[in-house]
Amino acid sequence: MLEVTDLHIEIEDSVIPETVVYDFDISVSAGEIVGIVGESGSGKSMSAHAIAGLLSRKDMKKKGRIVFEGEELLTVSRSRLRKIQGDDIAVVFQEPMTSLNPVLTIGTQVEEALRIHSDLSDEELKKSALEMMRLVELDDVEELYYKYPHELSGGMRQRVMIAAALICDPKLLIADEPTTALDVTIQAQIIELLKKINREKGTAILFISHDLSVVRSLCGRVVVMNRGRIVEQGDAEEVFNNPKEEYTKNLIEAIPKFCKIAVPKKNTDRKPLLEVRSVSARYKKVTGYLIPGTKQKTIVKNASFTMYEGEIMGLVGESGSGKTTLGKTILGMLDDTEGEIIHYSKMPQMIFQDPYGSLNPTKTIGWILQEPLRIKGGFSAKERSEKAKEMLSLVGLDEGILARRPSALSGGQRQRVCIALALMLEPRLIIADEPVSALDVTVSNQVINLLIELNKKLGIAILFISHDLKVVYELCSRIIVMKDGEIVEQGTDEEIFNNPKKEYTKQLLLSAGYTD
Amino acid sequence: MKAVLKKLLTFIITVLLVTLFVFVAFEMIPGDAATARLGINATPEALEKMREEMGLTRPFFVRYFSWLGSFFFGDMGVSYSYGVSVRSMLASKLPITLTLTLMAFIMVVVLSIPIGLYSSKYEDRVFAKVIDVSGQLVMSIPPFFLGILVTYVFGMLLHMFTPGGFVSYDINFGKFISYLIFPALAIAVPKAAMSTKLLKTSILSERRLDYVRTAYSRGNSTMDVLYKHVLKNAVIPVITFLGMTLADIVAGSLVIEQVFSIPGYGRLLISSIANRDYPVVQAIIAIIAMIVIFINLLVDVTYQVLDPRLRGN
Repeated sequence: MLEVTDLHIEIEDSVIPETVVYDFDISVSAGEIVGIVGESGSGKSMSAHAIAGLLSRKDMKKKGRIVFEGEELLTVSRSRLRKIQGDDIAVVFQEPMTSLNPVLTIGTQVEEALRIHSDLSDEELKKSALEMMRLVELDDVEELYYKYPHELSGGMRQRVMIAAALICDPKLLIADEPTTALDVTIQAQIIELLKKINREKGTAILFISHDLSVVRSLCGRVVVMNRGRIVEQGDAEEVFNNPKEEYTKNLIEAIPKFCKIAVPKKNTDRKPLLEVRSVSARYKKVTGYLIPGTKQKTIVKNASFTMYEGEIMGLVGESGSGKTTLGKTILGMLDDTEGEIIHYSKMPQMIFQDPYGSLNPTKTIGWILQEPLRIKGGFSAKERSEKAKEMLSLVGLDEGILARRPSALSGGQRQRVCIALALMLEPRLIIADEPVSALDVTVSNQVINLLIELNKKLGIAILFISHDLKVVYELCSRIIVMKDGEIVEQGTDEEIFNNPKKEYTKQLLLSAGYTD
Repeated sequence: MKAVLKKLLTFIITVLLVTLFVFVAFEMIPGDAATARLGINATPEALEKMREEMGLTRPFFVRYFSWLGSFFFGDMGVSYSYGVSVRSMLASKLPITLTLTLMAFIMVVVLSIPIGLYSSKYEDRVFAKVIDVSGQLVMSIPPFFLGILVTYVFGMLLHMFTPGGFVSYDINFGKFISYLIFPALAIAVPKAAMSTKLLKTSILSERRLDYVRTAYSRGNSTMDVLYKHVLKNAVIPVITFLGMTLADIVAGSLVIEQVFSIPGYGRLLISSIANRDYPVVQAIIAIIAMIVIFINLLVDVTYQVLDPRLRGN
């Protein structure tokens, strides 16, 4: 059905043309699910977008052949290509939050492709849209039809995206990282949904992902890409069990697999570092007019726990569970809180999820690192720069970086800078809020290793906030599970993973694929 | 519905505040209405008698609320200088200023949307660059100077209208409108240039967003993506700008009326301030404030219609 041979993609708009995809070959037969895996920048999305005809013909120079159902897509007329887009080839994108138009109703967007590719009346369009929305297991579709994207959760939006893609009953569905932005339990549901669609409608799926375990659970055949080239391809089980190439081996090695990469230091003296006693946190929303009232939303409800010197504690939960808010509450970043927080040492420091947004793009790394000391005062310029160099070497970065700005750094380097920044005031506790979820697997592993090393070398305690159970399993000795603002369960790693008491914890472990 | 009620309440409160502000301002200016009427050579006794007659001796808030009360029932008092009712003076001039303002506002919209669309669609073409540069140029020209230029070029050189040849709407409506075209243009052009630039930037940044790629993947043509997806999002900041710029347009009208000798509120306001004809000044300012706030209200409602994310909040 789809036959791609010798595809080269070159970006034209830069001063020096840059080839981003080389010698790309792939074939997809009717009803087949093929996966493309690779890290960010490997060219997997670019190749998929080229197949879907979504790369600008002007700025992206393409060579080779993309033959779909006997038609050469690279040379076919634009109007013919538009007939194929949405009708025979449909795409589901990574970000369900931004991939839907915010000012159009769900109904309009679900039926749009059918409106373009058929002459159905409004009523018939609506009927098909509702039917498709039911197929992707959305509830209250009649009501949903008139809603707008911002009123839906991430998982629902991704279902809407899938319904919109399937409305014309396409022969090929290109799914570009469709589960990456979603919570684990939702992720598993979307994968099941794709399997069902493939089974029931016979839609062929080209599945693009950086997540090897997802690809393995879904795809019959897999293509591994690195730096714009195909490294290896073949039957999925074959590739995963007997990888031939070094790169594939490393990639499979790097899959988080519920194994301890470091045995956390067992603390015998149990000196308390932080005590959280019945803490609640609320967000206020101003309502009313003239006579102002406030509506309160409790994000964290009655949380209590203690952290001890030098331990790594995991705080897990899905998005919206209140884990980030709890972290911020500990740092005193919120106004409306209740309960008691006792710090037995210096104020903890925080590392945030997004290493891109956390660093001021207009300042140099040196300036950024010295800022906490400048604010605190009492340090000479020399002391400040010495300290910055020291922390930089501690996180494994070269001091040449000091004069650069954040834009010149990779994601992994930026996260290291954020860690160095958190270390500047020599805290005894670091609160790391999803520090690796924006990073590629191999880079993510390096950052985790760095955190473990800091824990061992300096004895710094870490409160590790994450939605990823595998990562938490790797490095935490005690774990707190949160849901809807409440602590569901807390205990040692043994207790939580091997003997969970609460249904929710069991469910989380199951969706993450944990089996003991 | 609740949102509309809220806006209405805002409308009333703002009008109250503006009129109160005007009242206080005149209270603080040295010299009162009695002096203005009798002249500086009047005896203190005569002045006192006049103040008594004009009700100026009553406490401030009593005067304010009695003025406010009669204002809302259509009684705006009597002009000190002309001795006629303010209402009749203003009623005949309201259509002139209102038409000028509306024409200028419509011109801003009609000019900026197509030009903004064009220059975002063909941003690489020479003509789009010419638009960019000339937009930058006219943005920096104050309306009164542009008015003088327009008078010179279109009036004196091209003879497309007769400067000073204003015809009132009750005499010949067609000529009235055609005379106002050029003054309206002088007000509109700088604002249209700003709004064009804003729309262009807004379209260009919207076009980079993910939902645009989704729209293409469904088989939409470039035109459909622009009109059915991008434009609806891109006009939202432009509407905000138009709302904010409206007060400027009204102020611009008052100035431009001077340049083009149009007997609207602008000229009346300036002469009344000079004559300390307070009832006229107060009424004009209150009416202008109401017009500005009312159109702002319309902009807010449009906003809610265009952006579903704002509804219900």
